[in-house]
Amino acid sequence: MNLEPALEAFFAEADELLTRMEESLLQLESEPDNDELINDIFRAAHTIKGTAGVFGFDDVVHFTHEVESVLDRVRDGQMQVSNDVIGLLLRNKDHIGALVRAVAEKRELDAAQRAEGEAQMAALLALLGKQPDKPAATAVVAASADVSRSESAVSDSCANENWHLSIRFGADVLRGGMDPLSFIRYLCTLGEIVHLDTLFDALPQWLQLDPESCYLGFEIDFRSEASKAEIEGVFEFVRDECVLHIIPPRSQISEYISVLRALPEDELKLGEMLVLSGALTRAELDRGLSLQSEAASAVSAEGDGGPSAAPPQLGEILIESGAVGAGVVDAALVKQKQVKDTKAQEARSLRIDADKLDQLIELVGELVVASAGVQNVAQMLAQAQLTEASEVLTRLVEEVRDQALSLRMVQIGATFQRFQRVVRDVSRELGKDIELQISGGETDLDKTVVERIGDPLMHLVRNSMDHGIEATEVRLAAGKPARAKVMLNAYHEAGSIVIDVADDGGGLNRQKILRKAIERGLVAEDAQLSEREIDRLIFAPGFSTADQVSNLSGRGVGMDVVRRDIEALRGTVDIDTEPGKGTRIRIRLPLTLAIIDGFRVGIDKASFVLPVDMIVECVELAGSIRDAARSRGYLDMRGEVLPLLWLREVFDIDSPAPERRENVVVVHFGQTKAGIVVDQLMGEHQTVIRPLGKLFSALRGVSGSTILGSGEIALILDVAGLMKMAGSTGMTAAGITEMQGQNSREMSAPS
Amino acid sequence: MNGRHSLALTVVDDDDVAADQQQQYLTFRLGEESYALGLLSVKEIIEYGGVTQVPMMPGFVRGVINLRGRVVPVIDLANRLRAESASVTRRTCIVIVEVANDGEAQDMGIIVDAVSQVVDIPPQSVEPGPSFGAKVRADFIAGMGKLDEGFVIMLDIDRVLAGEDMAAVNDMKAAG
Repeated sequence: MNLEPALEAFFAEADELLTRMEESLLQLESEPDNDELINDIFRAAHTIKGTAGVFGFDDVVHFTHEVESVLDRVRDGQMQVSNDVIGLLLRNKDHIGALVRAVAEKRELDAAQRAEGEAQMAALLALLGKQPDKPAATAVVAASADVSRSESAVSDSCANENWHLSIRFGADVLRGGMDPLSFIRYLCTLGEIVHLDTLFDALPQWLQLDPESCYLGFEIDFRSEASKAEIEGVFEFVRDECVLHIIPPRSQISEYISVLRALPEDELKLGEMLVLSGALTRAELDRGLSLQSEAASAVSAEGDGGPSAAPPQLGEILIESGAVGAGVVDAALVKQKQVKDTKAQEARSLRIDADKLDQLIELVGELVVASAGVQNVAQMLAQAQLTEASEVLTRLVEEVRDQALSLRMVQIGATFQRFQRVVRDVSRELGKDIELQISGGETDLDKTVVERIGDPLMHLVRNSMDHGIEATEVRLAAGKPARAKVMLNAYHEAGSIVIDVADDGGGLNRQKILRKAIERGLVAEDAQLSEREIDRLIFAPGFSTADQVSNLSGRGVGMDVVRRDIEALRGTVDIDTEPGKGTRIRIRLPLTLAIIDGFRVGIDKASFVLPVDMIVECVELAGSIRDAARSRGYLDMRGEVLPLLWLREVFDIDSPAPERRENVVVVHFGQTKAGIVVDQLMGEHQTVIRPLGKLFSALRGVSGSTILGSGEIALILDVAGLMKMAGSTGMTAAGITEMQGQNSREMSAPS
Repeated sequence: MNGRHSLALTVVDDDDVAADQQQQYLTFRLGEESYALGLLSVKEIIEYGGVTQVPMMPGFVRGVINLRGRVVPVIDLANRLRAESASVTRRTCIVIVEVANDGEAQDMGIIVDAVSQVVDIPPQSVEPGPSFGAKVRADFIAGMGKLDEGFVIMLDIDRVLAGEDMAAVNDMKAAG
């Protein structure tokens, strides 16, 4: 039998479980009383152990078993959740990860990992060994709290071990040939009536009394082993005509609650759950539901009056009508919510082979190209029906494209969450008190980007912690809170996603940076650099300000690599710093790597595509304005200076410029705006980005290519690259040009 | 049981075919000279046309073409080999070849003046290339094939189109 796919699934699952375990552990640190977290951690460990057992990975099973034992103690409240325990468990989690990876890669653990494993094992056993004298932990108190709370809530209504039956016979019972007494007699066959009150307050004045009507009610304390349904069954023949409340004895309520807890995790309606647990009979549920719908229709009838008046909840109705106790409903509701949550999580993800997804997206890309072709033909033929049909097709294809692309979109939150652990560990290592603040975790971006942004972010976060944030004494002296902050934030802006890594540390020390840059020969000694240029020096290869190389950062590879990683994703990185206040590094990335909305422009016969997101507007360039722009190199745009870039010249296209007019496409990138001068504007197109391949890897100003509807290829302009090219030719500072020269050599060196 | 047997046979067959094909070459003309290309690396031959120029690239990179939805770079072979540009005629073709680039197979198009024929060149008819004197760089020549009409230059196409070398040229151009 081929176990490979199953193994793959196991490794993927173990990975996920370990991540969950880590998240829960970190959360547990701040909420040690949250027993749900402990359960989560336990479940994760248990599942890994179980599955590893199936495959016979004894190392994993053996180690995880001890971890599980410790967790079990914690769960049972025999062990306190201290930071030490969490620290150990975190390391355990890492070791389990190492063990699983070792199995996945079919290799043995190395010596260091084995030693670590043994040390952890010893620690675990020590924990288990001196366990019995530990007092019960707070966690358990919390665990049992909600049960006891719900029990106490109902104990008022029913304080003894007896069922309480409250029945009011309907007026027509006697006429229907039923004798209330016979029901009570029959009830005696199920158990013993401890106490019975006859209620006759419904009896009217003698004159109005109808001897054929029944006015009686009974309150009965009843001791029985029978279930609620059986008891209710006694009154079956008069069920429709009488008002019956059956309140279970106290012992039963806790039983109901436990039944509820033990119900299989299927999504059930509240009522169904109560029926299953036996707290509610089917008939009671039906009545409750009809009451609810009556109430709902009543509400909607009043409708115009107040939209706030929502139809009452089934739970409330059931409690009001006394069918079940409040505690039972509460427990059921809690269970219902849990089930919903887990269901929602399960339903939210579907594991698909990434290759299949890529194939799909590639096909959608072809489809987009094909439909653009159809649209072209339709426009050419100018036939109304065909045009209409092709419009519909194009719109649908666009939707399909968006949906397909969104399949690849994942939230960045999970990536951010990983840094909680990093910050926790590193801040301890550095002896700084650092807190990580995360926002914008729900921002979506392409999976490929998410996968490849992790390393640069790691560098940046570590850098912030090591270099950015001052030692605690320095912070206090500067009047800052001792607890430093590192912030990760993500949001969408102008067709790109922006990720900020910020800290409230000391900011960059510009003098020091400049001195080091000169020392390392990155800048000429007499170079005059603006503050921004100095800040950007930290991205130069081989640059480091650290006086000492720590094992975290300072080897001078970090920021350069970060910049290159981000540029490889067609992104940019920018730095913003204020001495004494902090530093913010801003990463700007394209939303997706596959398809963009493109705007086609032409020069002579060649056409180029610009991402629509980057275009602000298009203006005509003709007449005297054109001549002036030509000689000055910029355009007066409503009082703003707009630098111009003649694409024909940049690209060395060997053809004369058109006689009468050219067009300027105004693009913005980050804070900069510029105008790109082209011959013609050719309108918007769906653009599937195709990489140009390795041969063109060093090509600047072009980020890729796309196939037009006509089958021709158009090059996609890299606006940022073009601006950089145009900018560098005009740059005077010797140091910067020098630096960039180095960069381009380094970047193009064969890897 | 039978499966294994026939499998072994197939392998042998494959070897034979491969050996046959390894001796087969596509010959083509560039200017006055005849060249040969191992048939195994040739994927298809298409009519010249639809080449989109890529700016700021060295002269031997003619541009890119759309090969059924894929973007394939096109190399001006005459320029690459002898630094003279070929003029496009009715018989100009693009030969799509598969080259190994850092262990990755990549398709590239080469422009040739005319495709001639597929010939068998047995190993014993291959002479080592001249170490100097030929108009073509010595390291691009895999050998000289002896045919009835005379010698053909057998190209080491992986080396001619090697990405690293090409990218290096490209960088020099960009830097200088």
